[in-house]
Amino acid sequence: MAKLLETVDLVTNFYTYEGVVKALNKVSLVVDHGSTFGLVGESGCGKSVTVRSIMRIVQEPGRIEGGKVIVYLDERDKQAGIDLLQQSETYMESLRGDRISMIFQEPNAALNPTLSIGDQVSESFLFHQKKEMCTKIYEDLCAPECQLFYPIKKIQQAVYGMASNNPYAVSLKIMNKVPILKRWQKRLKKEAKKRAIDIIDKLGIPNPAQVVEQYPHNLSGGMKQRIVIAIALACNPVLLIADEATSNLDVTIQAQILELLRRLKEEVISSILLITHDLGVVAETCDRVGVMYAGNLCEVADVKELFGNPLHPYTRALLDAVPKFSVEKELKSIEGNVPNLVTPPPGCRFHPRCPRVMGVCPQTFPEMKEVKKDHMVACYLY
Amino acid sequence: MLAFITRRLLLLIFVLFGVSVLLFGILMTFSPERRAATYVTSPQQAKDIPKIIKQFGLDDPFYIQYFRWMKEVLKGNMGWSLVASRPVGEAFWNYFPVTLEMNLFAAPIVIIFGIWLGTLSGIHRDTWIDHTTRILAIVGWSLPTFLFALVLLMIFYGYFQLFSPGVLSDQLTMFIIDNPETFTRFTGMYTIDGILNGRFDITLNALAHLVLPVSTYVIVVVALNMRVMRSGMIEELSKDYVMTAQAKGADKKTIYIKHARRNALLPVVTVAGQLVALSMEGSIAVEVVYNRHGIGWWLAESAVQLDMPVLMCICLFMGVVFVITNLTLDILYAYIDPRIRLN
Repeated sequence: MAKLLETVDLVTNFYTYEGVVKALNKVSLVVDHGSTFGLVGESGCGKSVTVRSIMRIVQEPGRIEGGKVIVYLDERDKQAGIDLLQQSETYMESLRGDRISMIFQEPNAALNPTLSIGDQVSESFLFHQKKEMCTKIYEDLCAPECQLFYPIKKIQQAVYGMASNNPYAVSLKIMNKVPILKRWQKRLKKEAKKRAIDIIDKLGIPNPAQVVEQYPHNLSGGMKQRIVIAIALACNPVLLIADEATSNLDVTIQAQILELLRRLKEEVISSILLITHDLGVVAETCDRVGVMYAGNLCEVADVKELFGNPLHPYTRALLDAVPKFSVEKELKSIEGNVPNLVTPPPGCRFHPRCPRVMGVCPQTFPEMKEVKKDHMVACYLY
Repeated sequence: MLAFITRRLLLLIFVLFGVSVLLFGILMTFSPERRAATYVTSPQQAKDIPKIIKQFGLDDPFYIQYFRWMKEVLKGNMGWSLVASRPVGEAFWNYFPVTLEMNLFAAPIVIIFGIWLGTLSGIHRDTWIDHTTRILAIVGWSLPTFLFALVLLMIFYGYFQLFSPGVLSDQLTMFIIDNPETFTRFTGMYTIDGILNGRFDITLNALAHLVLPVSTYVIVVVALNMRVMRSGMIEELSKDYVMTAQAKGADKKTIYIKHARRNALLPVVTVAGQLVALSMEGSIAVEVVYNRHGIGWWLAESAVQLDMPVLMCICLFMGVVFVITNLTLDILYAYIDPRIRLN
């Protein structure tokens, strides 16, 4: 399969008062076109930082300090990758929410409490489809069935004609500053809202026309998460990153959201990068899985292979810690604690907790090796 | 909405009652002789003190004196002001415009400037912009108002002969007193009356007299507003919805202005409202130093001379101001934050 996203030796550090938190230590992963990639690991192991680094939205005091994030977005030339870390912020703004978008963990906090749902969803369209919308409005205005007072129609035609050529022209920017003249955007906003209603409707939310007028506090958690998904899907992204999208929802809603994501993946989006700490969710939805520990990727394999034949001691320990109905023994836990990433253990970061630690482990960091076909592991045992 | 406002205004009655009982009680702790002595100007009259006490019933029980006072107030008689040597009601409308005029200029500057500076330093957290604004603001905030006012007066008036104290220059004041028929006092605020009468020289002169008091007030007070806005901005920018906006492809300006600022404004509205309400009693130090005869100056003089009716009047006025400010703030909250609903 063709690659869609590839990170190469991604390094992200956080400069806190306690010291430098080495949150990501050379993370390399590949997400293919049309696949669902699951990223699992304990809290604080760097899953979220990985995807935020991919999107380049790491918050202060974090800094991406090395590596590459390559995306292959060109339809014709699948080999032509773009390194996102080399691109300008403007390019990233045009990419975020359009080709790559993201869903967040906490639906209650992910929506702005003071803006209406309609405003927040239609923002996506205003950012990425302005030109297209202006062209459509211009065509509507020129259509013979358009009933509008003649001079106003003429003026609007002129403005939208201009906007459909270049919605970011200087003259339009000046107009946006002038109190009465900036009203020209009214039609544009209406169009964006119409599209917002459409996308909300597609996600199976009842009464979309009413929902867009409401505010986040009027909706339930599951509804809010659907709205967050609607925002992410607004412009038909190629890659959807779901950062613990279902962790804070109750189980029935969680199942609905996962089902929704699966359906959407078949219909609209190409690939999903799913972050979770719930191995059940991974088993159910993902094609490929990466296991992270303390800022390192330690094992990557297809989902069946990983659950059937886990190689890395950490993966095994993680799978043993999942409660099963068939086993009535006491649940196994992993000895020790997650290391402090200001002073991570030398060599393999898992060695202090590893049951099969060897002499070489504390000395050098194990490289990722392809042990079997499509099964990579970073451990000196193999 | 209307029901909400009516309810709040009904509350005003209780507030005013409470405030007046409290202050009246405090003033009653002065002995009747002390209070009667206020009306005595020469040693010869001192022997009349027992007579005055008897005549005005100054040794009656608290509640009788209070109800006597309230009966007069309800009739519209606030009493006689010794400081102003005219009825309190009339004097109030003489002094109030001076304070209001200063606030009309100072309050918008404090609010707009505070929000702007706070946003700026919140966005550029821990950069030199942030440090500079913060240091300047803290210096302004910790300066004693009277000292700062005196320094400004010394520099600008003392050395440069600019911005003289007072409300209006002596010549123009004399002119207005001599020609009451050509200059009508519509509002009592010279800047506005000057425009209404077509005398722009008076407006300009009054504006020049406002420069120092307004600057003093703004520099001293803006820090509070700015700090609240800054911390609000920093807090909001770390919230998840900002990241959602970023992931949507929002540019920095949209995130700051459309997303974060609106949320950060809520606490600022509270602080700014209280500041404006407080400044209605006139910044006492500013008015005294710059010799502006407004509410603050009047209050200071009356407190020194134990001019009881004035103290009561100003306290009642502040009660009204605070109730109305809080009412306005609540309406503003509901406008800014959709989670807050009136009723």
